[in-house]
Amino acid sequence: MISRFWAECAVALTTMIFGLGIVWGALEFGIGWDSSGPQPGAFPFYTGMLVALASLGTLVVTATRRFAGDAGLAEIILDGEKARRVAAFILPVIGFVVLSVTLGMYVATVLYLVFAMRFQGGYGWLPTLATAIGVALAFYFALEKFFQIGLLKGPLERLLGL
Amino acid sequence: MDNIANLMHGFSVALTTHHILLMMAGVLLGILVGVLPGLGAPNGVSLLLPLTFSMDPVSAIILLTSLYWGALFGGSTTSILFNIPGEPSSVATTFDGHPMAKQGKATEALSFAFLSAGIGAMAGVILITVLSGWVAGFALRFSSPEFFAVYFITFASFIGLGGASPFKAIVSMGVGFALASVGMDSVSGNIRLTYDFDVLLAGVSFLIAVIGLFGIGELMLTMEEGLHFNGISAKVRARDVLKTAAKLPRYWVALLRSSAIGIWMGITPGGPTAASFMSYAMAKRSSRRGANFGKGEPEGVIAPETADHAAGSAAMLPMLALGIPGSATAAVMMGGLMIWGLNPGPTLFTDRPDFVWGLIASMYLGNVVAVIVVLATVPLFASILRIPFSIVGPVIVVVCFIGAFTVASKEFDIWLALIFGFVGYAFKKLDYPIAPLILAMVIGDKAEDAFRQSMIFSQGSLSIFWSNPLVSTLMALGLLLLLMPLVGTAYRRLRGLGTARAA
Repeated sequence: MISRFWAECAVALTTMIFGLGIVWGALEFGIGWDSSGPQPGAFPFYTGMLVALASLGTLVVTATRRFAGDAGLAEIILDGEKARRVAAFILPVIGFVVLSVTLGMYVATVLYLVFAMRFQGGYGWLPTLATAIGVALAFYFALEKFFQIGLLKGPLERLLGL
Repeated sequence: MDNIANLMHGFSVALTTHHILLMMAGVLLGILVGVLPGLGAPNGVSLLLPLTFSMDPVSAIILLTSLYWGALFGGSTTSILFNIPGEPSSVATTFDGHPMAKQGKATEALSFAFLSAGIGAMAGVILITVLSGWVAGFALRFSSPEFFAVYFITFASFIGLGGASPFKAIVSMGVGFALASVGMDSVSGNIRLTYDFDVLLAGVSFLIAVIGLFGIGELMLTMEEGLHFNGISAKVRARDVLKTAAKLPRYWVALLRSSAIGIWMGITPGGPTAASFMSYAMAKRSSRRGANFGKGEPEGVIAPETADHAAGSAAMLPMLALGIPGSATAAVMMGGLMIWGLNPGPTLFTDRPDFVWGLIASMYLGNVVAVIVVLATVPLFASILRIPFSIVGPVIVVVCFIGAFTVASKEFDIWLALIFGFVGYAFKKLDYPIAPLILAMVIGDKAEDAFRQSMIFSQGSLSIFWSNPLVSTLMALGLLLLLMPLVGTAYRRLRGLGTARAA
């Protein structure tokens, strides 16, 4: 159960850290002035500062509204039910990315679609396999053959000599 | 009239069988992208862009702009039939479009939507034809400080007029600028902000950001809400379309007003979404049948649709003539132009007239083709939404990640797309505007160059931004836009005090 107040604070803190990270990274390249004009770090330095300050602004506004008893901030924006639905979607997606970089994108596509359709969607094996393999083949022919763009490949493609 | 001659030349470039076929392909892909939740116009253009790298720029831009028109139409289809806006800019169409469909007037609603959208788009394109040469000619007088001032106006209007919290708009914009500066610095040749990670050497592509923020992020949001389609089936018969078309002239006031609003919001970077809402609100306030709005009033479909498409096409004007995109999709296309080796901005009109006028001519044709194609294929695309989302959703995921990989064939990019997905989810959930981030990523380098060159001219003094009437006017306009929310709040506070005292 996450209320809007905590979500606002967490995101604002994250962007603030991001901004400060940019500021820190920019310092390495000089933020002043040299013979060729502003040094390379100057522009990122100021954008980083801007992000950090604006994040601080969001934090202050959020805190003030909380202090003033704003009801909108108490609203639950992510309850258990919603969190479960998001997790059921995004965890297999993360799995898909991991499989893509290890087994190649075609194998990952088939495995991911089989998981999503057979085990999450409750479809029979026949429509599941037909869709999964069909999508992978469609991509293979469209990209590798027609547009001559290669995707990440893994051990299976090597075995098949593709 | 110079422009007319140029336009005729443009038609000779655009009117080939090859290009007409590309338009139809683009429109069909666009409708598909617009109909499917999680795939919008910016995302569709990003996914298709890597496939156009080897194409001739004129053909490539015709394909991409047609996809854009198609996506705008697709978005309205789902709004009317399913009460689910396929695009953010077609949210306002659901207010009256879906009630009309429920009353059994789906065909009428769809025909009104498509025809008025076509008229809105035409208004935008006519404006581009008339004004673009003039704006580009005017902009030829710009040097670095003026360009920086125009970029400043662009972002100031996002912050001032965007409707979101100004702090959040600044954060979104700043993150975009920071990401744009990762990698090679175009002025000094230094490698910046890589924090010793080799994968960051080539920078962060805005295409990956779009795919993550608009694609994966949007899907997470859709999944969270648990998606249910309750569609209304529609068959579009030619006779009904003609009958509806005959009723259209009755709404000429709404059409004119909505076109004007759309064009204005497209040129200033308010974008199609803001335009459609504003047009709907104005129509509701001024219409004699204002009380019927929300219950299935045709004018409530016509107003947002006209403005939406007028803004969409008018957004091409600042992109072509000034090198400033008026919407997220235009930003992606402008990034594409730069990848193809073209330099959007006033010089494009003199360097590549065949490209510019070919594009403008294709916008006339593309919209006609789009209206015809969309009317013919509505039943087909409506049936796509009957495929359960547990199949469509994962397939969209696969398309997004494969698209992310094809941008530069980098493994790191698919991880990056995933990260951007989480960012997009969090940002959308908390009403951070995303368009400024994309715009900043695309024009970040140009804005930085303009700023640094100005500083070199002036030996580091900010007074260069007030050094002549032109740049001073532009900067003043930017500051005014920036301070709008403050003025608005102060005004409301004062009025609030006044009423409190009166009570």
